[in-house]
Amino acid sequence: TSFAVERTNRQHTPQDSCNYSSSSKVVPLRRARLRKDVDTLRHILGIQKFDLGVICVDNQRIQQINSIYRKKNLPTDVLSFPFYEDLRPGKLPCPLHRDELNLGDIFLGVEFVMNQCREESLDLHGALTVVTAHGICHLLGYRHETEEEWTEMLQRESYILSEYNRLTGRHLEPLMKRCSQDR
Amino acid sequence: MLKSVVRSVGAAVRLSSATTSTARALPLSCPMLRSLSPAVTRPFTRSLWMLNSNSSGYRPKLFSSKVLSPSVSCGCGGLHTEGDKAFGDFLSDEIKEEKKIQKSKTLPKMSGGWELEMNGTEAKLSRSVSGEKITVTFNINNSIPPNFEEEVEQGQQKPAEEESEIVSTPNFVVEVTKQAAKHSLVFDCHFPEDEMSHGEGEEESDIFAIREVSFQPEGDTEWKETCYTLNTDSLDWALYDHMMDFLADRGVDNTFADELMELSTAIEHQEYIKFLEDLQGFVKCN
Repeated sequence: TSFAVERTNRQHTPQDSCNYSSSSKVVPLRRARLRKDVDTLRHILGIQKFDLGVICVDNQRIQQINSIYRKKNLPTDVLSFPFYEDLRPGKLPCPLHRDELNLGDIFLGVEFVMNQCREESLDLHGALTVVTAHGICHLLGYRHETEEEWTEMLQRESYILSEYNRLTGRHLEPLMKRCSQDR
Repeated sequence: MLKSVVRSVGAAVRLSSATTSTARALPLSCPMLRSLSPAVTRPFTRSLWMLNSNSSGYRPKLFSSKVLSPSVSCGCGGLHTEGDKAFGDFLSDEIKEEKKIQKSKTLPKMSGGWELEMNGTEAKLSRSVSGEKITVTFNINNSIPPNFEEEVEQGQQKPAEEESEIVSTPNFVVEVTKQAAKHSLVFDCHFPEDEMSHGEGEEESDIFAIREVSFQPEGDTEWKETCYTLNTDSLDWALYDHMMDFLADRGVDNTFADELMELSTAIEHQEYIKFLEDLQGFVKCN
């Protein structure tokens, strides 16, 4: 998994501010935990041999990407950019070359998710794992534009997270409110 | 005395001209010229010609510049030349300009309770977290990446408002020391140059990176080469992530790195202005 924490995940507080741990804008992301969770998801889905990019960005950046690619000038929780654009939902690609062992990139709006977690008293890393599972489903061809598609995708996510819970002892559930993309 | 110098210089010039002319094809009807030695390189000939020339216009003098009259001496016993005066005047203007663009007379504060100590050009930030001592040391010397200077040299003419600011991105060393420990865990960190394109293209990476990790004897200022040093170039990503998390838990994260750059830039600018002022003082009067 190619993994990056984007430089714009930064704090903008006045000079005489409180310490970093109580700052409102710093996202307390721990990358080793996120990497491990993503690797667990990849194991569950059987996609370990595929490259996957996970980029953590702040509200400003995710809003910019959302505006460019979906014409929605708002921050959101996740945006997915599939390498394979016409996959049948859940069908893994069969690449002929090593260069095609790639599922695409997921941009996680970590600041957006952090704010949601604060409002709903949720664990940040748990929420990021749920959101990442959703993003990976999009990379694998799942959509939620129709009721039928939504149901199919929700079922898949529920399966993924139940397996995750079994392996880790945690209790994650699919997020009911979604501000993710249409694709 | 001066007249005789001119005469001998003039002769040298005439000889030089004759010598030079023999480098080209000679007319056979000129026995005298034929007997002269072949042309040799006379690099100082041009300077001699200039000394000998009476034509109008400023010519650089061969034997240094005019020394200012001792009657205006400050009594310091030092050399004062016209060049020094021009240099001093230039520095005056330069200092004024640099102070104009200086963001603040005081250094920016780091968030997170870091204490700053300065030792010349070396800065040390320290804080304690649950009994652990964390120090971050960097030196502002040679901390401006060469890419910025190359852009200026390549003559990229940008409008003044678009010119990028000089940013100091020093390498820095993070030292983590637990209580009563003989060794500190030391991280040699830097700002990768390819990520320093502010606002250009997509920036999707950490601001700083860990280059090397080592256990070093606590309290030693010099890096001990006989201690094993882990290089992160081909390190397992998961291990690297754990190290970055370790640092983040102690306050060294992308936010910190951003603030460190601002602090280093401010210190560097301060030191530059101070250097210009010292230089001005030295040039004017020692």
